[in-house]
Amino acid sequence: MVIDLSPLYNFPSQFDRLFEGMWSPFLISQRSLAYPPLNLSETDDRIYARLEIPGLEIGEIDLTLTDASLVIKGERKPIKGKYYRQERPTGHFQRVINLHAPISRDAVTARMRDGLLEIVIPKAEESKPKKISIKAS
Amino acid sequence: MTHVEQRTEETRLPRFKPATDIIETESGFVIYLDMPGVAKDDLVIDLNEDEIKISGKTSYPAPAEEKLGHVEFGNGEYSRAFTLSQIVDKDKIKATLKNGVLELTLPKAEKAVPRKIEIRSE
Repeated sequence: MVIDLSPLYNFPSQFDRLFEGMWSPFLISQRSLAYPPLNLSETDDRIYARLEIPGLEIGEIDLTLTDASLVIKGERKPIKGKYYRQERPTGHFQRVINLHAPISRDAVTARMRDGLLEIVIPKAEESKPKKISIKAS
Repeated sequence: MTHVEQRTEETRLPRFKPATDIIETESGFVIYLDMPGVAKDDLVIDLNEDEIKISGKTSYPAPAEEKLGHVEFGNGEYSRAFTLSQIVDKDKIKATLKNGVLELTLPKAEKAVPRKIEIRSE
């Protein structure tokens, strides 16, 4: 009698892999259906938002800054022609970034390079961490 | 041993097939590939007989002092190959990379371009 347990032999390593995979940045957070993909990071005095928007000029992207959020809007225009294959998304897109810290609105900069939009949002003075020295008397 | 192999696999960059549009025009084909983050110097296009292979690596700098808050993309390697039809004129293939989109223009060979035949009446 032969009992075939072969699918189970790999089980522990596949399990390990699942856990290891969870730590890669690709699976760690919301690689969601939202378009365009967004990375957010921050330093003590700045917030960085990076989005992959290939094929658009910076002038075609509409950035709206309100008190608590930054809205990125745009449209990927379809090309007219006889398609053999169409995989690139087209149409309007919008993403909203909620800002949790007060920012200095006038100093926000955005630039586009190789399809990557980088928005630098400086934090307002009052939200920067400050060291308070306490003098013992 | 299998574990060692897995580790090396994981340290490699994730590979993607770039999203692609293929459009036929009167004079040939145009292929558009979304390759955000790939600089011109990191893009490799190999033409080998009937196969054209496109690959490129993104080079996002690792944010050293920044604290990552939300991550949806990272560095990766794009790779995709296409088989060319006989009617493509391989000497006239043009490639343009603009704003993260690679545009490949594949003109049809002269004899394959549709032509109107005029009928003369005598």
